[in-house]
Amino acid sequence: MVQFQDVSVIYGESFALSRVNLCVEPGEFVFLVGATGAGKSTMLRLMYGDLKPTRGQVMIYGQNITNLKPTGIPKLRRGMGIVPQDYALLPRKNVWENIAYGLRAIGYSQREVHRRVAHALALVGMSSEAKSKPDELSGGEAQRVAIARAIANNAPLLIADEPTANLDPETSWDITLLLQQINLRGATVIVSTHNPAIVDRLKKRVVAMENGEIISDTPSGSYPGEIERARISVATLRR
Amino acid sequence: MIDRLLFILNETWANLRRNGLMQFAAISTSTVALILLGSVGMMLYKLDSVAQSLPRKFEIEVFAHEDAKREEVVALQQQLQAMPEVALVQLITKEEAWQQEKDALLDQMDLSDLPNPLPDKLIVSTREPEQIAGVSKRIRQEKVVEDVLNQQETLAQVMSISRFIRWTGFSISGLLMLSALVLIYNAIRLTVLSRQTEVRIMSLVGANHRAIRMPFVLEGAVQGGLGGMLASGMVLLGARMISDYTSSAWPFLDQLPGGAPVWSVLASLVALGVLLGGLSASWAAQRFVKI
Repeated sequence: MVQFQDVSVIYGESFALSRVNLCVEPGEFVFLVGATGAGKSTMLRLMYGDLKPTRGQVMIYGQNITNLKPTGIPKLRRGMGIVPQDYALLPRKNVWENIAYGLRAIGYSQREVHRRVAHALALVGMSSEAKSKPDELSGGEAQRVAIARAIANNAPLLIADEPTANLDPETSWDITLLLQQINLRGATVIVSTHNPAIVDRLKKRVVAMENGEIISDTPSGSYPGEIERARISVATLRR
Repeated sequence: MIDRLLFILNETWANLRRNGLMQFAAISTSTVALILLGSVGMMLYKLDSVAQSLPRKFEIEVFAHEDAKREEVVALQQQLQAMPEVALVQLITKEEAWQQEKDALLDQMDLSDLPNPLPDKLIVSTREPEQIAGVSKRIRQEKVVEDVLNQQETLAQVMSISRFIRWTGFSISGLLMLSALVLIYNAIRLTVLSRQTEVRIMSLVGANHRAIRMPFVLEGAVQGGLGGMLASGMVLLGARMISDYTSSAWPFLDQLPGGAPVWSVLASLVALGVLLGGLSASWAAQRFVKI
């Protein structure tokens, strides 16, 4: 589903990513972990066409998007859900309107928008807050709305950039469980995080990064080894 | 399709409600620029109509002195008729000329009580247009002649005024249009800045570039179009007021051809406003909307 083949991204003379190889299969749940500047956000931006690799190839759904023209990017993004780190909610619109906005922007009919928004809100457990404005929501609730907007299009790939940043541990875990629930419904989920607690607890595949390189790739179901655990912790501390 | 169109229109409306002061500045500047442009256009249209209405015959009008005797005028007529360059010389007596004038102004004023101010007149037709200047010069040397007019001179005067209006009017209105475009450009830039989150969301969910940029382009087109509508209203109102004034002060001016048709002023100023506003906004949207 997502494949990086020997991908490098160079800014000036420094490597943001260096010869990265990664393959994410359909239905997987993958954590990208590492300190700030490790290359997590660069990886995510490459996935949704916000950045082009200096070298190598990025494949999404088997399509090489390395040299995708700007006109091809909207179609690529309609095939995925993206959760930005800062939620990107519109303060003047309520929860319902915030989710509907994205759907209307890509041309869904009123009826379809209504159906999809209701479904997405129910899935993230926010139906009762449909009329609330973003400034009336807690951080966790705002994150749920951002996730609802990303999944409303029912895309098979969900990319979440630091979804638990600025959330307390309990809320972080709730959001992580929500992402797992979305994964169990069939979507491939790729989450960047620097939160070792949720990574350890969920026991999903963990791709650890440092200085633009993948330093370990631990498969789902296994605990990260002591060294990797230490690396993640050190990386988190560095942040 | 309709849903997408409605979305774009909603976004355009949302854009227009932001930055009220900037919207006002952009609309009012384009209005002033288009008023000037419309006024210049109307004047040029009128002058062109006047130029078009001038007789295209190779004619010279020769006015005799007020106290010239009829025999002297007839003698001049025969003398001119004998010239090889002259095709025909027609005598319009002062009585005939006065009667024609009274008939022409019959609806506007009663001239019956006034003494006849007009002199005898000869209309001289040359065989070729290039002979007009030479023949006019020779006629001017005759003692019985008060004044010589030929349509080439009148036409040259009209065209000279027309050129002056064209250059000064279009230069000033061009500068004003430029400032209107800069203001529209700036208004769009501010709107884009105030709607960065919306643009980002649209970009993340995969809205196509047209759907993202079109509301900003439409915003500029609306600003220009509103400027055009206000300008055309004011130009037409101004033209009507000037026309009413000149008709009452100088009734003979009514014999001149009319001004530009109302619909053409309205349509051209609105279309120009929409086009320029849209282009300026499109430029700003291309530059500032990061997708």
